This record gives sequence, C-alpha cells and structure tokens, in this order.
Amino acid sequence: MDDDQSAEETAFVVDEVSSIVKESLEAVIGRNTYEHKRVNQWTSGVVEQCLGQLSKLGKPFKYIVTCIIMQKNGAGLQSASSCFWDNTTDGSCTVRWENKHLYCIVSVFGLAI
Amino acid sequence: MEEYHSGDEVSFSPDEASNVVKECIEGIIGGVDYSQNKVNQWTASIVEHTLTQLVKQGKPFKYIVNCAVMQKSGAGLHTANSCYWDTTTDGSCTVRWENRTMYCVVSVFAVAIAL
Repeated sequence: MDDDQSAEETAFVVDEVSSIVKESLEAVIGRNTYEHKRVNQWTSGVVEQCLGQLSKLGKPFKYIVTCIIMQKNGAGLQSASSCFWDNTTDGSCTVRWENKHLYCIVSVFGLAI
Repeated sequence: MEEYHSGDEVSFSPDEASNVVKECIEGIIGGVDYSQNKVNQWTASIVEHTLTQLVKQGKPFKYIVNCAVMQKSGAGLHTANSCYWDTTTDGSCTVRWENRTMYCVVSVFAVAIAL
C-alpha cells in the first residue's frame, strides 16, 4: 500500500541502521589488534563511513554517530544515553561489537527533520 | 513577542552545557571509587540529571546525552563522534572527567527544533 511505503521511507529503521554499522566495523577494524597509534583512525573511519552510508539512505533525518573503542584488559566499561526528542519520529540504535583484542560500541541517533 | 525572541537565532552554548555536565558528574561520582555494582546507576543518573537540567533551560532543542564510565586499569579507550545536521543551529559538547579510580566521558548533542 502507498501509505505503508511512505511510512517506511521516512521512519528510523533499526535493523537497516544496525547492518550499516556492522559492515562499517568489519571493514574498518575487522580482526586488528588494539593499536594505540591506529585507534584514532579507526574511530574516525567508523563514524565517517556509517554517516556516509546513512546519508545515502536519503531519509529526512539528522544523524549523530558515536563510537567507543576499548582495549580488552579486564577493565569495566559502562555507557548510557538519555534523549529528549519526539518519540514518534526519532530513534536510536546501539551496536556492541568485539573481536579478540578490543570492544567497540557504536550508537546511531536519528532525529526527524 | 515577550515569551520568545522570534527572529533571534538561538544556538547551542557549549560552555553552558559543559558547566551543567560537570556539576552533574561531581554530584554523582565526585568522591567515590569505581564499583561494578553501582556503575549502572551512576551512568543512568548522570544522563538523566544532565538531561533534566538542560531541558529546564527552556531552549528549543532536542537533546541526546551520552555517558561512558571506565575503570582505570591501564586499558586504552578511544571515542569519536560524527554528526550530520545543520551546523548553524546544532551543536555538541564533550566533557572528560576523572578521579583516582575511573574516567568519565559525557557528550551532549543538541539539535534545533524547527518552530
């Protein structure tokens, strides 16, 4: 139906965003070990790649992408976020990813224009 | 109009937000040591408290507040963020805080609401 299709085109679709994030992580970090000198490029690479793919979706949203990378050495890490927005149109998606040497948390927030 | 200065572009003030964040962090984890049992409550309180204070300012913004708390144990931590928005009206501010046993990074993102 036309109505369903236009709603789909302008809604924040968590699954779609989640796959974009996972692909970016695999592509940028993949199986690399935590390297202090390169981690800077990785975090920038991941957020920029995600943002590029998201804007290509052409939906009427403003996006915020955040990425945290932490070395695996037994430390505890806790992350939380709170949002003041329009529940009917805005959404977020958080992806927790890891490989043998590091943890990565990427959050995407989409706010309808 | 008395209530709202229409015609004035209200933009985000990172300094003001930064102060709000620092006060919230100090208030909640100021003098305490990292505790795995409590860290859950701390991050939740920090984001909620910060959000409440920001909303009280009454500005026409949607807000996202993000907080990460990490135990100091020698591990490396790196964070980055990227935003696709209207650079004239929207903005963000990140506060890095630490005490003897933990690091805390709080980011506030403010997106203008079209009136």
